[in-house]
Amino acid sequence: MLAPLSDGVLEHARRRAGAPALVWRGEPITYGGLGEMVHRARAQLESLELPEHASVGVPARKSPQTIALVLACLMARRPVLLPSVDLGPETVRELLGQARCSHSLSAGEDGTVGSAATTGEATRSEDDPTSARSPRPDDVALMLTTSGSTGVPKIVPLSHGALDRFTAWAAARFDIAAGRTVLNYAPLNFDLCLLDVWTTLRYGGCVALVDPDRATRPDYLLDLLTSNDVDVVQAVPMLYGLLLDAARDGERELPGIEHVLVTGDSFPARSLAALSDLFPRSRFYNVYGCTETNDSFIHEIDLACGRPDGRIPIGSPLPGVDAVIVTAEDRVVAGPGTGELLVTTPFQTRGYLSQPLNDGRFVPHPEGTDARTYFRTGDIVRRHADGSITLEGRTDCHVKVRGIRVNTLAVEQVLLEHDQVLEAAVVPVPDGLAGHRLHAVARGAETSQLNSLSLRRHCARSLNRAAVPSTMEIVTVPLPKTPTGKVDRQRTIERHPTRRTHD
Amino acid sequence: MTDDRQAIKEFIVEEFLPDVSTEELDADYDLLAGGVVDSLGLLQIIAWLEDRFQVALDDAEIGPESFRSVNAIHATVAQLGTEAHAS
Repeated sequence: MLAPLSDGVLEHARRRAGAPALVWRGEPITYGGLGEMVHRARAQLESLELPEHASVGVPARKSPQTIALVLACLMARRPVLLPSVDLGPETVRELLGQARCSHSLSAGEDGTVGSAATTGEATRSEDDPTSARSPRPDDVALMLTTSGSTGVPKIVPLSHGALDRFTAWAAARFDIAAGRTVLNYAPLNFDLCLLDVWTTLRYGGCVALVDPDRATRPDYLLDLLTSNDVDVVQAVPMLYGLLLDAARDGERELPGIEHVLVTGDSFPARSLAALSDLFPRSRFYNVYGCTETNDSFIHEIDLACGRPDGRIPIGSPLPGVDAVIVTAEDRVVAGPGTGELLVTTPFQTRGYLSQPLNDGRFVPHPEGTDARTYFRTGDIVRRHADGSITLEGRTDCHVKVRGIRVNTLAVEQVLLEHDQVLEAAVVPVPDGLAGHRLHAVARGAETSQLNSLSLRRHCARSLNRAAVPSTMEIVTVPLPKTPTGKVDRQRTIERHPTRRTHD
Repeated sequence: MTDDRQAIKEFIVEEFLPDVSTEELDADYDLLAGGVVDSLGLLQIIAWLEDRFQVALDDAEIGPESFRSVNAIHATVAQLGTEAHAS
């Protein structure tokens, strides 16, 4: 019988009530305390008399109370949609409607559950939910969303079974258990939280929650890591960039951290070298995954012997994961070569909630080798002669500039390799004559002497001339982010358009 | 002559490099490799040079190489100017 994730947490609350479960704004919260919060939220949930097993929305405002509320919903077998707090009210309403949430719930600081009925029609979950206490493996537990950089985010339902299998893998792989502390940097709606929040709580460890209001303050982050004896850190490259920035002047190092997981975008190799000074005793991993499939590849980074081109491979499939590389003509790439990565994992969604979106994204094996459902990741990868696989770009990030096919992600990557560039966005701008021109926005450190001349010279060293952006803006403010923490290219270009006079 | 070179530099900076000051732009900086000037930019430069220096660049056998840097542009204009005076 499958137990919902919340059962594990409540078990720790009974057996190890005094053990720390969360650290929030400097205060520890024990499993006993968290357990009480979950029971209290559950009682309030019951008193709302929602339609049986109807889904609910819980805006992902990071707090212990929100975590307790999500656990209470899981306990009650209510699928939970976790919309980002950065989404506009219209988008949230749309998502709540799609997910057929009868109510949007929120947890106040005192643990009071607020509720607002949605305008959408509440329905019971698709199959008859018998009164059985245990969820079936395929029952939906959490509904995450894609980043939605184009249009309304897509809802990705994850089953209790998928969560169970994923958390079991993550706990075993990174020794997440009682007595261990894991940093949570990502907002609660991120898939990364499946590892740093939900695996940790299920297996009795302690989650050090980064306060989103202070998530870009390097000194705060360094202190949080040191004062809580964090063992595992998982984050997008931005966190490591901030830490390196803060540690540059001082002699700060974090010898207690055992596992450092880099995820999200590709990571500049030079930053990795610097990371080993900051985390002198850590093992480093590049973890690859999508919200739809969850983590699917892992590569332990050997800082002493990287690839000659400085790129970090995505590594090997996790246990139970299968992957194929296919060409644009849907032929499987057996040996070295490039193509789109198709992945199937034991942790994946059964498909986007909105059925029409699944066409062409969730597909059978292109050669019918097995009966599993594969997800077309949209990531272009290269398999090298030594078998290692590296990311090359996205299927949707290719444009033609003066007739030459250019991958804008590759251009961003080159910009990020400049030692004074912290963030970069490259956007194709339609141009009547050239087809597209590239506009780049690069964020330099406030003290940097970065200008477009040096950046252009840097780009010209490794890029085709068509790929050197026509226009460049150098800024010192952080670039706008999507709700999942990636640079929001569209908002970046709106905020930092080109100043070139002839445009 | 140095004034001409300075004028060319100012034009390039104003048109193509809004974040850069004229002092920062080296007269030998490779404008083509750095993508500062593309084929459309070349047309702009040519139009400006013709206007500013009263030379006819479309008649001359000049390629992109003649516009690779501020110094190269300056040399091109100087040479055409000399030829114009000689004829």
